[in-house]
Amino acid sequence: MTVRMLLVINKSGGLIYHRSFEADVDEGLNSNDYLILASILHGSFAIATQLTPKALQLSQSSSRNIDYTVPYIPYVGMPRGRTGNERTKSTASTSQGKLGSFKGDDFFKEPFQSWNRSGVRQLCTDEFTMYIYQTMTGLKFVVVTSQGTLSPANPSSSNNIFNIHVADNFLRKIYCLYSDYVMKDPFYSLEMPIKSTLFDKQVKQMVDNLV
Amino acid sequence: MAIYSFWIFDKHCNCIFDREWTLISNSASGTMNSKQTEETAKLLYGMIYSLRSVTKKLSRDDSTNEVRSISIGKYRIHTYCTASGLWFVLLSDYKQSSYAHVLRYIHSHIYVKYVTHNILSPYDFAENENETRGRGFRKISNRNFISALESFLGPMIAQ
Repeated sequence: MTVRMLLVINKSGGLIYHRSFEADVDEGLNSNDYLILASILHGSFAIATQLTPKALQLSQSSSRNIDYTVPYIPYVGMPRGRTGNERTKSTASTSQGKLGSFKGDDFFKEPFQSWNRSGVRQLCTDEFTMYIYQTMTGLKFVVVTSQGTLSPANPSSSNNIFNIHVADNFLRKIYCLYSDYVMKDPFYSLEMPIKSTLFDKQVKQMVDNLV
Repeated sequence: MAIYSFWIFDKHCNCIFDREWTLISNSASGTMNSKQTEETAKLLYGMIYSLRSVTKKLSRDDSTNEVRSISIGKYRIHTYCTASGLWFVLLSDYKQSSYAHVLRYIHSHIYVKYVTHNILSPYDFAENENETRGRGFRKISNRNFISALESFLGPMIAQ
């Protein structure tokens, strides 16, 4: 399983970052295509809200029962060799300071809430699966993966809910990188394309860790 | 496990059948071929159409790369497209991962049997130029088709 592409869409539907990790995908699409793609995804978010089935609208209780908590999945996108017994104090101390302004050996270690309550979260096709993570501020992180899951422990999971949760964990870490390397960049203007080599490097590293 | 609604679209972008269950506990409730759901049908068609164009752009070669399911916070959309341009769309709750076999069964054993093989049923639900491009209004009102579909989908509504 590989990550084919990563997109970041700002709150007004513009594409601010795109990167493909496979050469052949990039050839077929120019930057204009990417912009269209981002706006289509943004638009389908708005439509998805309108399409909520009558049965769910009527029975408020059943829709309230839906749990939007995403469980913490350990070490998605973190360097290998830290699992199990190897994760001793010595490795933890050497890895300190590697996560930007985040402490510890992982960005977060607790379950979190998904803000993407009425938008598209996953798009399954024959060839790939697309996962979308939306932040509270309306920023969208999109990852396109070839068939399978992002989980390092369970590479052939067919459980969709689990796959969505793993992708949410991964994309939240990309969001952490964004908050570190893009938001703290004094030369970055809001809502504009991201041109940060540091961010590029960190994202690339995290994607490489997945494989 | 519950299903919320079922739709069929034809190659002219028209919704030719829709069925929505409003009470999860009651398989007889809800609307069928209703005027009220016309707008919803258009939105649904538009969303699947645009997401299909996304997947077409992102696919590696020219091989068909169809949308299988779209997961949306509270519910999930399953699609099954045939080569003749028919779309079978099912809205279910978010837990069920695939309804592909159900949709394939509806096409091959219910649609083909009661609509395609029925000489009295129109071959194309758009009779003239004015009813193509999403402006059609004709629906499948075939008694046998509806009863077969109801008895097939009925047990799945509140599982």
